[in-house]
Amino acid sequence: MDNSTIVCKCEEINIDEIETAIKMGANQFDDIKRLTRCGMGPCQAKTCMNLVRELISKATGRSPDEIAYPQKRMPIKVTRMSALAANQKSMNIVSVFKEAVTEMDSP
Amino acid sequence: MKKFYDVVIIGSGVVGSSIAYHLSEKRNKEILVMDKGFPLSGTSGSTQAWVWVHNKVPSWYGQLSMYSAELYPFLKKKIGDVEYKRTGGIAPFFDENDRLHALRLAEKQAEVGIEMKVLDREEVLEKEPNLSPDIVGATYSKIDGNVNPFRLVELFIKAARKNGVEFSFYNTIIGIEKTSGLFKISTLNGESYLADKVIIASGPWTKEVGKLLGIHIPVKLVRGQVIVTEPVAPLIRNTIAGVRQADNGEVLVGYSKENVGYDRRTTLDVIQETAKMAINYIPKLANANVVRCFSGIRVIPEDGFPIIGEIPSINNAYVAVMHSGITLSPLTGTLMTELINEGEASLDLSKLNLGRFEKTKSTTVF
Repeated sequence: MDNSTIVCKCEEINIDEIETAIKMGANQFDDIKRLTRCGMGPCQAKTCMNLVRELISKATGRSPDEIAYPQKRMPIKVTRMSALAANQKSMNIVSVFKEAVTEMDSP
Repeated sequence: MKKFYDVVIIGSGVVGSSIAYHLSEKRNKEILVMDKGFPLSGTSGSTQAWVWVHNKVPSWYGQLSMYSAELYPFLKKKIGDVEYKRTGGIAPFFDENDRLHALRLAEKQAEVGIEMKVLDREEVLEKEPNLSPDIVGATYSKIDGNVNPFRLVELFIKAARKNGVEFSFYNTIIGIEKTSGLFKISTLNGESYLADKVIIASGPWTKEVGKLLGIHIPVKLVRGQVIVTEPVAPLIRNTIAGVRQADNGEVLVGYSKENVGYDRRTTLDVIQETAKMAINYIPKLANANVVRCFSGIRVIPEDGFPIIGEIPSINNAYVAVMHSGITLSPLTGTLMTELINEGEASLDLSKLNLGRFEKTKSTTVF
């Protein structure tokens, strides 16, 4: 593992970029995120959060417990805009009553 | 770290770091910027970062915004590529009755030199074919655009550091005392610093920092929530009031205002409304994937306008606080530098002085 090893796959951020941000003075995940985009992609830091916390811990000499987790925000996973807007009729929601009466009427 | 400084700036957001950079250009002062967090951990890192002019009212405020927007191309030359793009700005309306208001606005803005047009539906769709055909018109100006706030603040700080400015992060100030003409600033970790001048550039924490100096700075907090999509093919070219597309293809949507204090949670109700707005403006966004949301606390002076200048009751203390810090940061840095180096600024700052709130207070009392 050298400094070009990718830490954040979504945004292709490597160890070197994380260490540069730490050298600028950042010592929390979210502060590094805003400088590097690490953790901003589709997985929302699920892959990189502990890798980055470890790098911060190593560089600053603080215990990993002291390094905060990234802020969790909705949506937890990638979600279609129309679903968020809730203006879509879902074909999979059915009425129990209608289901019963249709079955009863069918030969 | 040195313990005496000519100037201590409290806050390293877009306003504080711009002042630090501009003030350091002459390299004639020892400057320290202090922050209780890290740059971009507050408002400057949770914004759509429009550089927005054309519908700022009254027109003197629009003019101020225009002057600042005009400084951006040169700033980019000086501190590096902050990804400033003068895309043009479109503020759509959906009600034919709004056209009259739009025309009146255009007339007012023309008086101070802001060039804006009122477009009809066809003109809007010609500029932005992906906007909704339900739009009946829009106001438009070439002067509007956007910037990458992360790059902007980072490069302000890099340039300031190159000019000798010192920065101290994760360092909370708990007391400011004025003794024998100097400010003594004490911090939570037991350090203290002496300063000839202090500048409050503390955004949403302005009121608290003001209290340390024994003064009241009337500002309020407003939460704004924003949706970010996955990168998509170019969808819009202009900055739309409420929506912009970043260089990497992500679309940012949101224009909400809630009075909830310093609460930075994102909430499902506002996010759903924002998703609806996205689709109302740009129907194709219905099929875009939302990757994340964020929320930011904006600071707004009680009367809506920037407070920039000397603090009347305390010699050598200054304040710079405003809602549109991204738009106004190049101008604010320039004006504060003039004020500190020459004792006066090239624009009349009397409308922006903190003292204006005192006047209204005394008229209501008597």
